[in-house]
Amino acid sequence: MAHRHAHGPRSIDRLAYQSGMRRWNPVFKTVLAVGTLILCLAADRPAVSAAVILVLAALQKGKGRLPLRDYFGLLLVPLAFLLLGGAAVACDIVFAPAGDWNLRLPWFYVCADADSVRFAAALVLKALGAVSAMYLLALTTTACELVDVLRRAHLPPLLCELMYLIYRFVFVLLDMYGRMRQAAGARLGWRDFRTSCRSFGGTAGNLLVLSLRRSRIYADAMAARGYDGELRFLAEEKPVRGAQVLWMLLFWAALLALAAV
Amino acid sequence: MQPILQAKDLRFCYDSGAPALDGVSLDVYAGERIAVLGPNGAGKSTFFLCLNGVLAPESGQILLDGKPVDRKARKKLCERVGIVFQNADDQIIASTVAAEVSFGPMNLRLPRDEVARRVDHALDYMELQPFRARPPHDLSGGEKKRVSIADILAMQSEILLFDEPAASLDPTGEERLERVLARLSDEGRTLLISTHDMDFAFRWATRAVVFCAGRVLADGTPQAVLADADVLRRAHLRRPLLMEVWDTLRARDLVPPDAACPRSPDALARLLDEK
Repeated sequence: MAHRHAHGPRSIDRLAYQSGMRRWNPVFKTVLAVGTLILCLAADRPAVSAAVILVLAALQKGKGRLPLRDYFGLLLVPLAFLLLGGAAVACDIVFAPAGDWNLRLPWFYVCADADSVRFAAALVLKALGAVSAMYLLALTTTACELVDVLRRAHLPPLLCELMYLIYRFVFVLLDMYGRMRQAAGARLGWRDFRTSCRSFGGTAGNLLVLSLRRSRIYADAMAARGYDGELRFLAEEKPVRGAQVLWMLLFWAALLALAAV
Repeated sequence: MQPILQAKDLRFCYDSGAPALDGVSLDVYAGERIAVLGPNGAGKSTFFLCLNGVLAPESGQILLDGKPVDRKARKKLCERVGIVFQNADDQIIASTVAAEVSFGPMNLRLPRDEVARRVDHALDYMELQPFRARPPHDLSGGEKKRVSIADILAMQSEILLFDEPAASLDPTGEERLERVLARLSDEGRTLLISTHDMDFAFRWATRAVVFCAGRVLADGTPQAVLADADVLRRAHLRRPLLMEVWDTLRARDLVPPDAACPRSPDALARLLDEK
């Protein structure tokens, strides 16, 4: 299968459906991801953060069968923000040279000292570890299973159903919009800036009208199948294996040990 | 014989004001294959939604097994009458095929095992097992159509309504659809199909009902209804190709003058061989 570096809801969604860890129990995955996230933040040690990043990358590659190229491609998105933020933490702007390193610019100095750089690096590493933990959930669990986990965590059913329907509608509307976009393109609707603005306004307005009509038909279709105010689906049984729990506990113990060193 | 489903003088208006159904009466008998014909906007879809209980007619009555269905018993109609919507995307709500098919049986409040069994059966029926864990937005148009049919099969309704099921299907998809329809009919289900495909209606249906401007314009065997020039003109319908061919053959004395028009090319070939 050809892999392109496409981001956005479609690609993350597709990765979740293709993941080898999709068969894992979603509650277990949530516990693993959130537990690891908390450990990583609470330990606040670069060694722990690095271990989390490496182990979770290995897990995504080994168990999830996600190509590392794709995984790191997705990690690059938050990394760009983290590096910019880290640079702001590490560096200071002063009018007289200070710190261990100085970069002389026309009116001021950008300076940094070893401690602040170390602090910023640890911060970036910690944040990246946290992102890895969330990716463990996002890239292996489909949105509907996440909603199901939230439902079991006693989030109000109304919110869960809204999330579920919104998720489905994202794809329906994206599809609709894609077709309208093409149709406008076929009539030179994007030939210049002015026309593009008009076309965009037109398609957006049309999308609103269409989605309102769609929602009515949807309601009819749901009523036709006996919907009476509560969305119910047959959830697939995905049992948790003892070995999985054991590995999780081992992993957490190792992280704690690293933090204690 | 007792009709399984009856509509008596149904009237329905949408917000726009024009009556969509203007006094529709129809008796449906168990095991019938009914083609519902008529131009767009004739009230076919509205009629289906009333039969299934989604829309409540402003006046008129629906009877199941001769017993009137009141507003409270609407659920009963949902259980016994299933409807496959024209556009599969309007119907599919779940995020995996298996969950989607389970939606109807779960709403029937069946036990878990029974739901799982029905889902499996419906997926087998529509040859969808390989897709069971896939999200619907990953499927092609024809595959989505099959999912929307499996949705209704899992509810095991006796009466099935198909709203233009062949629209947007490719020839292979149409063939597959006809196989499924034949199998359902063999199993004793009652089928109502709205369609613009006169050739399909002519060869498949045991009865043709023509809608026009919210009324039933004609009701009878496809041979009789589709031979009526006045009905065809008023409902903007076209004669099936086979009837045209038949008239040409008859005009040239190539077929017995008293024979009825055969319903499929195979039947025509047999008739010509006999002669």
